[in-house]
Amino acid sequence: MSVQAAAALDAATVDLISRGEPAWLEALRADWWRRVEAEPWPSSAMEEWRRTSLDDLPRDGALLLDAPIASYDLDPALAQRGVIFTDLATAVRDHGDLVRAHLGTRETLPAQMPFWARSLAAWTGGTFLYVPAGVAVDGPLVARTSLPAGSYTYLPHSLVILEEDASVTLLEEVTSPDGEEVWFGGTADLQVGYGATLHYANLQRLGDAVWRIGAQRVEVGQDANVVTLNAEIGSLVSKVGMDVRMTGKGGTSRLLGLLAAGDAQKVDFNTCQDLLASHATSDLLYLSALYDESHAAFYGVTRVRPEAKQTSSYQECRNLLLSPKAGAEPIPVLEIETNDILRCGHGATAGAIDPVQRFYAQSRGLSADAAERMIVRGFFERVVAQFDSEPIKARILDALAPRIGQVDEVAA
Amino acid sequence: MALPNPAADKVPAGYKYGWHDPEMKPLHVMKKGLSREVVEEISRIKGEPQWMTDLRLKAYRHFEARPMPTWGGDMSQIDFQDIFYYVTATDKAVQSWDDVPDYIRRTYDKLGIPEAEKKYLAGVGGQYDSEVVYHNIRADLEKLGVIFLGTDEALQKYPEIFKEHFGTVIPPNDNKLAALNTAVWSGGSFIYVPKGVHVELPLQAYFRINTENMGQFERTLIIADEGSSVHYVEGCTAPAYTTASLHSAVVEIIVKKGARVRYTTIQNWSHNVYNLVTKRAVAYEDAVMEWVDGNLGSHLTMKYPSIYLLGERAHGEVLSIAFAGSDQHQDAGGKVIHAAPNTTSLITSKSISQGTGRTSYRGLVKVYPGCHGSKSTVRCDALILSDEARSDTYPYMEIDEEDVTIGHEATVSKVGSEQLFYLMSRGMSEAEASAMIVNGFIEPIVKELPMEYAVEMNRLIQLQMEGAVG
Repeated sequence: MSVQAAAALDAATVDLISRGEPAWLEALRADWWRRVEAEPWPSSAMEEWRRTSLDDLPRDGALLLDAPIASYDLDPALAQRGVIFTDLATAVRDHGDLVRAHLGTRETLPAQMPFWARSLAAWTGGTFLYVPAGVAVDGPLVARTSLPAGSYTYLPHSLVILEEDASVTLLEEVTSPDGEEVWFGGTADLQVGYGATLHYANLQRLGDAVWRIGAQRVEVGQDANVVTLNAEIGSLVSKVGMDVRMTGKGGTSRLLGLLAAGDAQKVDFNTCQDLLASHATSDLLYLSALYDESHAAFYGVTRVRPEAKQTSSYQECRNLLLSPKAGAEPIPVLEIETNDILRCGHGATAGAIDPVQRFYAQSRGLSADAAERMIVRGFFERVVAQFDSEPIKARILDALAPRIGQVDEVAA
Repeated sequence: MALPNPAADKVPAGYKYGWHDPEMKPLHVMKKGLSREVVEEISRIKGEPQWMTDLRLKAYRHFEARPMPTWGGDMSQIDFQDIFYYVTATDKAVQSWDDVPDYIRRTYDKLGIPEAEKKYLAGVGGQYDSEVVYHNIRADLEKLGVIFLGTDEALQKYPEIFKEHFGTVIPPNDNKLAALNTAVWSGGSFIYVPKGVHVELPLQAYFRINTENMGQFERTLIIADEGSSVHYVEGCTAPAYTTASLHSAVVEIIVKKGARVRYTTIQNWSHNVYNLVTKRAVAYEDAVMEWVDGNLGSHLTMKYPSIYLLGERAHGEVLSIAFAGSDQHQDAGGKVIHAAPNTTSLITSKSISQGTGRTSYRGLVKVYPGCHGSKSTVRCDALILSDEARSDTYPYMEIDEEDVTIGHEATVSKVGSEQLFYLMSRGMSEAEASAMIVNGFIEPIVKELPMEYAVEMNRLIQLQMEGAVG
């Protein structure tokens, strides 16, 4: 596949994309483009942008107008029950009113707004998933996108809506060829209603010259339960903002992250667990294994608002440094505005493999290499084990193998 | 040598000890506000060498050029042109005991502080009956070759050693407030401990004959030569009243090879003060630097004692405690920079917020490439006592070396209802029970304080708690 059609990212292009779209969508895109023009480009004066410079972001590439083809397989029985799983453009065409009620209705963290707004103004692809009230989808849904060759800007937006008591597991996976300078600005808006359960995995296997500047926004309703897993494996620079809003009483979120980086990769996550309602629970676990000259930054805020009584929250960020030139900056931040909390804290570490563990593994006959592979695999196991879907677990461990090595070889 | 003292006319009647020099020059009254002329005038009045005048002016230019920091606490209310830069440096703005607010006086009474000390702390008294103690300590130290003087006096008496070290740890352009301090500094302590000398008793600013030791812009410089050790204690747990709105000190400490320095400070400024302090130490091979830092009063405190571990196996510790009551923001913490292999550090922070108070821990652990074998642990615990109080934790970590062990942990909690119930079932009032729990919470730090401070600290917490509950 090659680049189908392309144009500069500007108001004229946004207008061009809108042609043939319903009037409401045209107006929505124009609104968001005005927002793009109003939002300042991130500078290192912003706390979240102190650790990643956008100076070398490939901004000159044209916008990818024809979205790459993604696969959306859905059991017809589920479609019968009202589940919609398709690309966003198709959903606009077939379920306009439903999309209109939810698309582009929310803002995100100020640090990510420039990218959130760009993607909402200029999206040409992305996933749309809708699960009606009371419908439980068994087995994971998988949205797999393979980006074409070439240098371009691609800003897909995914929208996931779970109505009351719905439940679903979704994997979004994106791959692209190495050596292509791409600005991939994918964003996701996950809206999880009363009592619903969403397990969302995002597997990023972009090419080694790609700049991934992403934003995820999760809104967790009353008694809803959300697990997200971000597996960052590819790309040259990956900067993702996660905006998790615990807006409903008794909502639960577990935010998992797993990154295996090497070469000169830079990964920078900023997360915000905003506890806005009472009895909410939000736990975060981000683990990185850093090889070569890779560098991982993590700036994560837990905010407990005065009205959010009896909440529980924890942030844990651990970095395994596997090369003398690897580096990490884990910064877990707490802003607690009430004393009526059940549990609140954080932990962050950075360091090499514990020599005792290494010695033990080697004393059992493993080579130094095999010992390291096994320890790294075990390190990640903590995250993977918390994601309740065997096929997705397998998929992620598979994707990790080129970086951390096959652990099966160890066993053999 | 004449050490002019601008506060001379404010010494209470009947004061009998007098200043070092009876032929004191008349008071120089300086107008409010800061300008090049004010900086030059301060230097001229003090009779300083040209290099110091030049350094002050250079710092003043930095201060002018730099914007106000926008992070941390709210500093928008500070008006630099509404401050006396010299007269207030002696903290004698309050002239009469009647001007001291009731809440400060009540606290003194409850703490059982003697009359003379009360007046001293409230800024209405000068020196008092500690001269004998002071002289004894002083004679003892002189025998060992230790220099322990007011910073102004040290500049006159030991110009070489002073010039060699002054401003080397915190350069004039380090930050806006350090630049301000360098431009208008006055008072503070100067300590030099010769090679191999161990000063057994803690040195206390409290006992020093120096009216400027509670100044607004004091400047402290401590040099511990190779293999020496010293413990310096500054401030006190009782509230210090000042009408001045800004306190901006700079403390520089140089811990040479194998030396050990502990710097303990408990500050309890009255609730109108902006307390914006830069404290930094450098520690060389096998040296140990420890900051014990307590922040109780002020409207806003921003203070992050830091340690640069520059020599192999150097060790740094920061013990920080903060208590914020209503309308107070304690933005405190610690920084450790690992710039040599096998260096180790420990930061322990305990903070308590009450009423509408806010405590923030803000810290940094940085490990440079090549500093293998470095280890650091940061532990922050916060206790929130009221529904409207707030607690933040901002622990920065920048790790650029693989072979290290760096960890950070933090918890935020409230006083548990079960703990309270247990203690109250034993016959305690709610206030007593809460105070006991809080005392237990800060115990790891309080036990590091000299006895008299520890006792006072516990009593003070109890007083604060009486107002907090019920």
